[in-house]
Amino acid sequence: MISTILIFPIIACVLVMLVKKKAFGTLMVNAYAIVHFICTLLLAAGIWENTVPYFAVDSTNIIFLIVLSLIFLMVAIYNTGYVRHLEGSDKKLSHYSFMILVFVLSMTGTLLSTDLAISWILIEGTTLSSAYLIYFNKTKHSIEAAWKYVFICSIGIALAFVGIILLNISSGAINTMNFEQLYQHATEFDLMWLKLAFVFMLFGFGAKMGLAPAHFWLPDAHSESPSPISALLSATLLNSAFLVIVRVFKIMELANCTNYARLMLLVMGFLSLFVTAVFVYHIKNYKRMLAYSSIENMGILAIGMALGGAAFYAVVLHLIGHSLAKASFFLTSGNVLELFESKRTKSVSGLISADSKTGWLWVASFLAICAFPTSLLFISEFIMIKTMILDKHYILCGLFVLLLTIILYGIGRVVIKMAFGELSEDKAKVVEKNINKISILMYIPQIILLILVFTMGIYIPDCLNEIIKIAAGTF
Amino acid sequence: MATGFIILFGLTMLYLAATSRIVAHIRILIIQGFLLFLICCCGMEHHNWLSFAFLTVETLIVKSIVIPWFLFKVTKKTHSNRDVAANIPHFYCLVVATLILLGGFLASNYYFSSMKMISPIYFGVSVATIIISLWLITIKHKIISNVIEFITMENGIFLLSLSVSKEMPMLVNMGVLLDVFIAVYILGLFVNEINKEFNDLEVSHLSDLKDYEYND
Repeated sequence: MISTILIFPIIACVLVMLVKKKAFGTLMVNAYAIVHFICTLLLAAGIWENTVPYFAVDSTNIIFLIVLSLIFLMVAIYNTGYVRHLEGSDKKLSHYSFMILVFVLSMTGTLLSTDLAISWILIEGTTLSSAYLIYFNKTKHSIEAAWKYVFICSIGIALAFVGIILLNISSGAINTMNFEQLYQHATEFDLMWLKLAFVFMLFGFGAKMGLAPAHFWLPDAHSESPSPISALLSATLLNSAFLVIVRVFKIMELANCTNYARLMLLVMGFLSLFVTAVFVYHIKNYKRMLAYSSIENMGILAIGMALGGAAFYAVVLHLIGHSLAKASFFLTSGNVLELFESKRTKSVSGLISADSKTGWLWVASFLAICAFPTSLLFISEFIMIKTMILDKHYILCGLFVLLLTIILYGIGRVVIKMAFGELSEDKAKVVEKNINKISILMYIPQIILLILVFTMGIYIPDCLNEIIKIAAGTF
Repeated sequence: MATGFIILFGLTMLYLAATSRIVAHIRILIIQGFLLFLICCCGMEHHNWLSFAFLTVETLIVKSIVIPWFLFKVTKKTHSNRDVAANIPHFYCLVVATLILLGGFLASNYYFSSMKMISPIYFGVSVATIIISLWLITIKHKIISNVIEFITMENGIFLLSLSVSKEMPMLVNMGVLLDVFIAVYILGLFVNEINKEFNDLEVSHLSDLKDYEYND
């Protein structure tokens, strides 16, 4: 099954490059999304073999894989509607589909790999493939965003490699990068080198995950890429980098350096929240606003990891909730961009009167991301706050709630103005011209994602809850 | 013998900090690639022949022929000869780089001499190289200079991986090669695209995307 997930896109890529037709490229992306989803379900059910050399499904990565698979399926559906009105030659759009396939393949590989070196190589692969996708519109802004993305992430990844070398030094005579073997021998590691290695790896993979202070690429890249790609970047790519950090964190835990690692994660987590709280007020571009919200949520994940205990369960819930809600938010922002032809928040108002479906999806996505009950994020943030209080971290808890409230107000203000304001006459004409571009396929994915987020806040199926609990147990 | 080459490697970083001609920077990359090859030769007893062959290809062919050739081509195409407008005058650049390198040597002698797993001098110089490169990236104005400093940083990391007196897994080496190769290729392509779009290679042009004032 794993081989199918990994080999199918390679064949699909070759076919896409041979046929070079827009429709065929889109078809292949959809085909891979379906194959990916079916394989993931079978792997989660444990029906098929789940190990090949260097790649395996284990109790930690299965939940990441399920999230990736679901988001990819939804993005593929949206993408089918989106590319219909996308301008560009067949060749350019084949490249677009080709790169989506490579991008998802690298993310899947990163999640499934059992070896730190392979994870690292594939994370580099995600940078290279997504750089093209960010640059897809070929404007001055998109080239600037892509350049910053490639450059910052390459430096981050290079520093992560320094971390890998230091980990190799600390591991003494053990010459392996296999996670299981690293876990087994973690107690024998030299602690000074291990701590140094963790700093480099946290910074390197943290850059890719969007944790402050290495987050600078994220708002640019997310706002300049086509909306389906923004959704993939935010809802799946950041998770892939997070999984590597989770695995490295486990090595630290087993080597009895937990407090050190937690402190580092806590600092980066709160810094991310702080950066978002400061910047979210001045943002003039709603896609950048969503990108900052991603930085905030990655910060929350880091803080959850630092808290440990019951918060691990909350981290997994938050990861799922954020991915579903943010994918829906970004996809809806794609609709808004199609309708109003502008990313400026000032240029968009009266969204509900312009297109009620997009308008309500926009509001519902906001409610989901701001942890309005019964959103899944409400449960996860509630558990984290409860853990902080039970552990007597009152100041941290106060700071956490304060920063989240500031961010909530900052985003809420913009979203409400955009959704409920007055629709001016000239904007109404623009919307009328563009409303035909939004097909039914550009509403369905968001509706499904939002139903899932709000339902999972009340009821999580037993089988899924079991997977989440086991995953949280392995953190 | 290896120590001499490593010190020479450290000195190339000083030259990089003190000059502004892009062509001279690319020549430095050739020299660094060759020095890394010589350092690999000196530490041959740690490697089996396959690993040694791999390292030779990586240092001699990729680092000192393919990458510089590619960068020369990019420089010619984009007519970028000098990076004169650095934020800090070259003399101070040289002073700071020297201090960092000195720090590297001192650190390697005083703090890591007790460590058995690594060779101190390799460690000190490679860390100094990485820091100098990162620092130069922040002060240079031309995009192509940033790419060159990115490669010197990768060279520093490569030296660090050689400092581990046991063998790194082959996979890791392959990863580095892939990283350098593709990163340079992609960065090079972007340099061309940026040159086409902006008619110049100044980093300051790439500052349109920000939070406060934004033009669609």
